[in-house]
Amino acid sequence: MNVHDLKSARPQPLPPKPRNPMPVWVAATLAMLWLIVWDLEISFETLAYGVADMAEYFSRYGQPDFTDLSRYLSLMGVTLATALWGTVFALLVAFFLAPLAARNFAPNAVTYRIAREILNFMRAMPDLLLALIFVAALGLGPLPGALALGVHTAGFLGKFFAESLERVDKGVCEGVASTGANFPQMVMYAGWPSIMREALGYVLYILDRNVRMASVLGLVGAGGIGLALHDTLRLFDYGQSAALILVILATILMIDYASAWLRGRLG
Amino acid sequence: MSAISIQSVSKRFPNGFEALKGVDTEIRSGSFTVVLGPSGAGKSTLLRLMNGLETPTTGSVRIDGETVDGLKVRHIRSRVAMVFQQFNLVDRLSVVTNVLTGRLAHRSWVGSVFYLFRQEDLGIAREALSRVGLTDKAWNRADKLSGGQQQRVGIARALAQRPKVILADEPVASLDPVASEEIMALLREICDRDGITVVVNLHQVELARRFADRIIGMNSGKIVFDGSPEQMTQPVLRTIYQREGIEDDNSLDMALAYA
Repeated sequence: MNVHDLKSARPQPLPPKPRNPMPVWVAATLAMLWLIVWDLEISFETLAYGVADMAEYFSRYGQPDFTDLSRYLSLMGVTLATALWGTVFALLVAFFLAPLAARNFAPNAVTYRIAREILNFMRAMPDLLLALIFVAALGLGPLPGALALGVHTAGFLGKFFAESLERVDKGVCEGVASTGANFPQMVMYAGWPSIMREALGYVLYILDRNVRMASVLGLVGAGGIGLALHDTLRLFDYGQSAALILVILATILMIDYASAWLRGRLG
Repeated sequence: MSAISIQSVSKRFPNGFEALKGVDTEIRSGSFTVVLGPSGAGKSTLLRLMNGLETPTTGSVRIDGETVDGLKVRHIRSRVAMVFQQFNLVDRLSVVTNVLTGRLAHRSWVGSVFYLFRQEDLGIAREALSRVGLTDKAWNRADKLSGGQQQRVGIARALAQRPKVILADEPVASLDPVASEEIMALLREICDRDGITVVVNLHQVELARRFADRIIGMNSGKIVFDGSPEQMTQPVLRTIYQREGIEDDNSLDMALAYA
C-alpha cells in the first residue's frame, strides 16, 4: 500500500459494516423481564388499588414525637459507632487482601485465586445472617453488629480496591518495578497512591451503607437505634417511630454531605 | 569490558508476533549507544529485555556477566535503571518521593512501605534532583510538572538508583524540540561524567548523529547496521527504515532527505 494511492480520484467504497448484535440483546432482555412478571404473577392492578391504603398508612406517621430525642440521639451514636468500627475492620482486611486479589500486583496465580475466593465468600455472606450468628456467639450489643458489617463489607471493599488496582496504569507499575521494587513496595508506591481518590470514595460509600445497615441490624439484637425502632413499630407507636426514622434520615443526609465535602477536599 | 552482552536473542510474544529474530551484540561499559529503527522493529523489546521487563524466548541477556532471569531480576534492576517515553512517574506522589523510589531496591520493605527513608537516601535524592535542576520543585506533585520536567524527574529517579546502566526507551518522543535537546544533553552528560553506560531508543536520526558514540540500526527484529555516526550514510538509513515489500518507497526518500 503506497501513500499515493490515497490521492486517487475516486474514493474507495467502505468495507462492509460490522454486524451490530445490540437489538437482539435488547429484545432478549425485554422477553426475559416479561417472562418474570408472568411467572411470578406480579399484578400491577393490586399496586394501583393499594395506593390509597398506603397513603392512609403513611399518614399515621404525620406527628413525630420528639419527647425522647436525647435517648434517640445517643442510640444513633451507638449505631454510628457500630458502622464506623465495621468500616474500619473492612478497610483493614481489604487493605491487605486487595493487592493479592489484583491480577497485576498478585505475586502468583495461587495467592490471587485464594484472595479472590476469600473476598467472594465474605461478600456472599449476608450481614443480617452474620449478625444473627455473632449475636448468638457473642451476646446482644453493638460488637456482633460491627463484626457482621465488617466481614460483609470487607468483601465489597476488597473487590472494589482490587479492581481499581487492576486499572493502575501499566507504565506506572513498570516505572516502579524497573527500580527493582519488591511486592510490598510495588503496592505502596505504584498501587495505593494511584488509586487514593477512588479508594476514599469507596470507603465513604461503604461507611454510608454501613450506617444504613447498622440501623437495620438493631432488629436482630445488634444494638443501636434499630432496636428502638423495632420496639416502637411493634407497639404501633407511630409518633415515636416517625421521630426515629427522621433521626436516621438526618444522620444519613449529614454523612452524605460530609463525604461529598471530604471528596472535594482531596481533589 | 562489555557492560551488556546479548547472545542470539529471539523474542516471540504470545500473540505470535516475533519482535526479535536472533540478535547478537555487546555494549561497552561507559558508552553512549543509540538504537534507531522504524516502529515495530524491536527496539523497545530489546531494551526491555535488558531490564527484565521482558524475558527472551531463546538466547540470553547478561549484565556485567550476570544473566537476567527470574530470580535475580530485582537485583539486576537495581543496577539497570530505565527511563520511559511516558515518564511513568507516580502522579500523586511528590517529585522527591518519586526520586526516592529509585532507592527501594537498596532497602528492605520494612521502613520503605511507611515512606521512611534514611538520611543517606535523602542525600542521594537531593543530589539527583540538583543534577537535573529541579530542586525547587521537590515538593510539587509529579503530575503538576511539564513534560520535560517530568522526564527530568524520571532521570533523577534513575540516577538515585546509582546504576551501572541507564536504558532510555524513546525518552524524547513526547517532548518538544527544546526539551528533547535538554534531555539528550543530560543523558550524554551523565554518561560522560559518571561513566554510566547509556542505551537510548530514538526516532530522531539527527539527535542520534549528534549524541551517540555508536548507532545500532534495527529493522524487523534484526540488527541491520552497527557503527559510528559517521558511518551512517544515506544508503544505510534506507536499509534501516526500509519497509517490507515496498521496492520504490517515495515516502522513505522524502522522510530521509533532510535527516
